[in-house]
Amino acid sequence: MRIAFEEMKADRLLAARTEHGNVAPVLLARGDVPGELRTDVPYQMANILLRVVPYLGSDRVAVVARKCDEKAIAEMSKRGLLDPGKVSLIGLACDARQVSECRCSDPCPSKVHIGECVKAAPADKEVEDLLAKTVPERLEFWTAQFRKCNKCFGCTSNCPVCFCDECLLEEKTFTPEKGIPPGFAFHLIRSIHLADKCVECGECERACPADIPLLALRKMVNRDVKELFGFVAGDGETTSPLLTTLDGEPMEDDHDVC
Amino acid sequence: MTGFRPTILAFCCNWCSYAGADLAGVNRLQMPTNVNVVRVMCSASVKPEYVIKALSQGIDGVLVLGCHIGDCHYMTGNHRTAKRIPLTAKVLETVGIDSRRVKLDWVSAAEGDKFQQVITDFVEVVTGLGPNPLREVRF
Ligand code: SF4
Ligand code: SF4
Ligand code: FES
Repeated sequence: MRIAFEEMKADRLLAARTEHGNVAPVLLARGDVPGELRTDVPYQMANILLRVVPYLGSDRVAVVARKCDEKAIAEMSKRGLLDPGKVSLIGLACDARQVSECRCSDPCPSKVHIGECVKAAPADKEVEDLLAKTVPERLEFWTAQFRKCNKCFGCTSNCPVCFCDECLLEEKTFTPEKGIPPGFAFHLIRSIHLADKCVECGECERACPADIPLLALRKMVNRDVKELFGFVAGDGETTSPLLTTLDGEPMEDDHDVC
Repeated sequence: MTGFRPTILAFCCNWCSYAGADLAGVNRLQMPTNVNVVRVMCSASVKPEYVIKALSQGIDGVLVLGCHIGDCHYMTGNHRTAKRIPLTAKVLETVGIDSRRVKLDWVSAAEGDKFQQVITDFVEVVTGLGPNPLREVRF
């Protein structure tokens, strides 16, 4: 793990390590005692990176990043939220178990430093099954699922690309202040708002205490975006189709990046 | 489904479609009366969350009307609408709401008759679809 400092000449390293028997993120400086660094547990580093970057000043940081972290970081830099020149990625390849858990279609980071790439999972069975349902059956399925939501906002807080300054879902117009579940609109607004950014990391589904199959929902929405606009989130270049005109030019007045 | 009269929300932009709706009124064109027109400054102010909120509260159909492409008062406002609204409709269908409940069309200030046509057709389609299933869903 010292590659971060020697090879990449970074000033800081963001990684996960064992802390009091749990796995927690740490930000290490050159010369710190690394402790027991962990790469075997999926940890959404992109999210944490975005939160520590404002405190780093001119320091360059190396971060342990899986493919989905890498994509989330690309989405952030594209929107000017962080400077890609100050971030070096230590590519972590997910193992077969993790890939199958996420039904991940794109598990291999562009440069692998740790682990070995495994094959992408075949088509997501859960998504296929849901899309094979008729429209009324889908509604039945999703209302039953959304009813379980306890409005903990875990899905939002853990999402690496949920980075607007003012959250729509925190407005009482869209989410009732009192009472759970928050209703159908909560989940749909979240789906649409992240439609051009979601990198399918599965963090929302892992965070959800109610076991709502959020990753399946995200994958279906991403598929819709792909069908409509041919756009897939996660590369640093292509501007989101929702931020361009019909001719693909960037909108002149675009101040809301999210 | 006899006697079902859907509740329809029509967002009309101030500069074209609302004027078009006005013209339809001035010309005394016959129109269904179960359409509630909401005047917005530009069709781009109709964010997906408003459409979703309307539907999740039991509105049977949402119509979004704006200036023709190229005529938007805010230049590219309706380009945004042209992308957002179809996406919203598609995602709604993915989770089980018929996408025909959301419709986007362009009506200029001079098109009173087109306004009448669009409204009449939409009401007919939504009447055919029956009540919004979310009306019955209690969360
Ligand atoms: S999978 Fe969930 S947590 Fe990950 S980017 Fe998509 S919405 Fe956010
Ligand atoms: S994590 Fe699950 S329970 Fe919590 S707000 Fe999100 S969907 Fe609802
Ligand atoms: S002003 Fe009519 S669509 Fe923008």
